[in-house]
Amino acid sequence: MLLYALDLSLVSEDGFEQVKAFLASPLAKLVSWGLLSALLYHMVAGVRHLIMDMGIGETLEGGKLGSKIVIAVSAVLIVLAGVWVW
Amino acid sequence: MVTNVTNFSRSGLYDWMAQRVSAVVLAAYFLFLLGYMVATPELTYADWHGLFAQGWMRIFSLLAIVALSVHAWVGMWTISTDYLTPMALGKSATAVRFLFQAVCGIAMFAFFVWGVQILWGI
Repeated sequence: MLLYALDLSLVSEDGFEQVKAFLASPLAKLVSWGLLSALLYHMVAGVRHLIMDMGIGETLEGGKLGSKIVIAVSAVLIVLAGVWVW
Repeated sequence: MVTNVTNFSRSGLYDWMAQRVSAVVLAAYFLFLLGYMVATPELTYADWHGLFAQGWMRIFSLLAIVALSVHAWVGMWTISTDYLTPMALGKSATAVRFLFQAVCGIAMFAFFVWGVQILWGI
């Protein structure tokens, strides 16, 4: 779907306007927000993974704290993404 | 040494590295695109087309598509070998896992080719 949107948005001005109009509908916004949320959470958790690879926060306490930070940071980003989409 | 025939690089260590390198590339691409769209609220076709017409953007996009294919394969391979096992599925596990990996592989290949076509079609 994302590739199709990219294709359509790049192939012509007409297509670009079609994608723009489609993304303006409430359902499309909800789906976009959902996709963005999943990506943001995946990325934040991935960054935590990289930090733990460096040997930071590898204890039980560190792991618990890290997972809470991931949830908190993701929640903030997801809310921001929602504000941006709407 | 026992090597696995279905993982990405025949070596867990290389897969481990490939997963992290591709992750950094994808994060950079995602953040760049997101930043670009946030910074350009009234995005026009000319802006958008102009961005993807530039050489560096095509290289960056192609890099991201390659990274996505690698990242998705290593990720799906890890999930399928962790959970689609004889312990979870019994005797049919190998067939189910193989089919699952084949579907993933075909999907990733199709997305890759399609992505290249889009990038070079404009």
